[in-house]
Amino acid sequence: MNKIAKLFVTFISAITLALVSITSSFAKVEGEYIVLGSAISLTGKYSSNGVHTQNGYNMAVERINKMGGVEVQGKKYKFEIIYYDDESNPKRAAQLAERLIKQDGVHYMLGPYSSGLTKAIAPVTEKYKIPMVEANGASRSLFTKGYKYLFAVLSPANQYLEVAIDLAVEKNGGKGVKIAQAFEQDAFSQDVRLGILDAAKRTGSEIIIDDKLPKELNDMAATLAKVKAVKPDVLVVSGHTKGALTAIRQISEMKVDVPMLAMTHCDAAKLSKQHGKKSEFALCASQWHKNLSYKDKFFGSGKKYAKDFQKEFGYDPPYQSAESSAALLVFKDAFERANSFDRDAVRDALVDTEMQTFYGNIKFGPGGQNVAKPMILFQVRCKGDDCENRVVAPTKWASDKFYHPIPKWSERS
Amino acid sequence: MEKVKQKDLILYSGLIILGLAAPYLFSAFKVQLTYLCVLIVLAMTWNLQGGEMGYNTFGNILFYGLGMYLTASVQVGMFFPLAEWTESGGEKTFVHTTAQYFQGIGVGLLVSAIVPAVIAGAIGYAILGLRGHYFAICTLGLGIAAGEIAGGIEIIGAGQGFTTPPFPAEIVDTEARGKFFYFLSFALLVGTFIFVKYIYGSRFRLILNAIRDNEDKAEAMGIQTMKYKIVGWMCSAFFCGLAGGIMGGLIGYIDSTDVAFDGREMGVFMVLMAILGGKGTLWGPVIGATLFHFFKEGLWTLILGWQYVALGVLIVVIVVYFPEGLMGWLREKYPERFGEVIDEKDRKAQVELK
Repeated sequence: MNKIAKLFVTFISAITLALVSITSSFAKVEGEYIVLGSAISLTGKYSSNGVHTQNGYNMAVERINKMGGVEVQGKKYKFEIIYYDDESNPKRAAQLAERLIKQDGVHYMLGPYSSGLTKAIAPVTEKYKIPMVEANGASRSLFTKGYKYLFAVLSPANQYLEVAIDLAVEKNGGKGVKIAQAFEQDAFSQDVRLGILDAAKRTGSEIIIDDKLPKELNDMAATLAKVKAVKPDVLVVSGHTKGALTAIRQISEMKVDVPMLAMTHCDAAKLSKQHGKKSEFALCASQWHKNLSYKDKFFGSGKKYAKDFQKEFGYDPPYQSAESSAALLVFKDAFERANSFDRDAVRDALVDTEMQTFYGNIKFGPGGQNVAKPMILFQVRCKGDDCENRVVAPTKWASDKFYHPIPKWSERS
Repeated sequence: MEKVKQKDLILYSGLIILGLAAPYLFSAFKVQLTYLCVLIVLAMTWNLQGGEMGYNTFGNILFYGLGMYLTASVQVGMFFPLAEWTESGGEKTFVHTTAQYFQGIGVGLLVSAIVPAVIAGAIGYAILGLRGHYFAICTLGLGIAAGEIAGGIEIIGAGQGFTTPPFPAEIVDTEARGKFFYFLSFALLVGTFIFVKYIYGSRFRLILNAIRDNEDKAEAMGIQTMKYKIVGWMCSAFFCGLAGGIMGGLIGYIDSTDVAFDGREMGVFMVLMAILGGKGTLWGPVIGATLFHFFKEGLWTLILGWQYVALGVLIVVIVVYFPEGLMGWLREKYPERFGEVIDEKDRKAQVELK
């Protein structure tokens, strides 16, 4: 046994030496680079949206660096991001945030993908007083915790589909509607649900189906069977990319007739491409659409952003990418206004942010959420086999009229 | 004999000093070190079933997750209405004072040790009659079911998750939280080690081994195997619950399937670590967990996107080349170092007999 003990001691001391030798930490600003850190879901259930987020970040970093970078105290700096894969797991995300801050010496963070992971990271960044600009954590509870270093460029999750209920009520002649809803069991979708509950109460609507969907979302036939039986006026589904894909696949397979279908994440799921005509008339909540009329000097208009993004990554940018790019613009602006790398100075500059980007106006409320930008709704519309997302609300940007009710499957070609 | 003990003493005191000094020596790695302590505890307690008793359980994650939810719930519930805390994904926030925070976590940990142990007793009574694969599959279901059920219980946040109380803001030192959780987990590790070492020197371990080697024979010898199996599992649950409680506080956000009843990660890791080090040995799980953690932290980020492939390869390599783990492999190579005496004459005689 004692030989083993010796072996063990040798092993431990080897590790100790190894650890000591790698404790040297990076600086927040290295040479001409401002180092940002981010834990991103490159694997796991959020991997597709994680990649959209990462592409958005990368595109903005490249563009800002190319166009002269960030000027602080007369010197030009470039952005650089350290990424880790959080495996779509909050536990891992919290650990990686700690690692980015303590070991890699990162002083400014970009958010992860999804509300759940942001909820796990926010306490860490808050503890170390690290400003974090996040673009993908929409859960309302993130903004009621009194976090001082959290800034979100997006609108809170409960606002996603409230407008859809208002639309349905309007189409129903101002009377309350019957709502069927199914939400994934995760922080974001449950928050969307809260928004619907509020809207239902406000409009006197009745919720007749209120289902929960599992996280590994591949089947919602049980909910749809109920929908077929009770015939609600609106069906609301939210479950990230997988939820949108599953819903359309099974609704078309089971030929479920419902006058209105409201969802989230249609553009991230590339619904109109993947399911074509089957996805027609789906109403989707979005933080951004390329047809909006916002502009900035880095990306130009939304349309130009979409074109450049398409060229770089080979697909139309979902709002997840656009909002992620916007996060970098916010950081650049804040650094330049702070004219310093002091974390608190940068944080104070972030508080005073008031700017327009191609993605929308950005101004942070007291909880850190973006209060200057409305949510939009678009509807999938097809011409022949070519389907597109067209903005239908709010009216300021609407390119098309909202089509209601959805024709029955028997009448659809 | 006396000499060996003295050497052991040096080893243990060395390790304890290292453990106590670690958060100061490697200040940036406190969280990883805390994880390491918890991983070792999980591997050691899994080893009690999987290694010593021969019952491969995937259900220990149940106790870990329970501990996590219980600690957080008690910590909040002692001072504030729990339902309001978790409602709407934790929109309302009450602030714990420093004293409330520590009292809460103390009582919470106590509860998270006892309740899982009791539940292990109850479940064990029902399912420890199953053997072999049947037991393994049954326990696999336990963790998954618990995750789904917890995701539907509103009072603990359901699908929204449960944000655990933030570390008291009155403590200005940003390192304090890291140190607190490190020392908590280190204390748990030391406690677990002492307990397991005590078991290793007791008749209880021999009984567990007897159950592993031949349960029918053990029973025929008059051992009430059921009783010992249950007690063994309760011991594991006790420490797993504590480990979960500490992790919940450290992570700060509990999600039903990804953080608490995380069978896919923690549940598999604890088995893997014990097997890697060598199940059925005292040091095996410790070494296995340490190696695994370093492998994971060191290489994981270098092979971004492929880490689970690498993990799969690792599992295959372990199972094919080190079926008995590192300790087992060492033992085979250098049996005399493990105090095993090989009687050459006897060995030859046996060969001739064949």
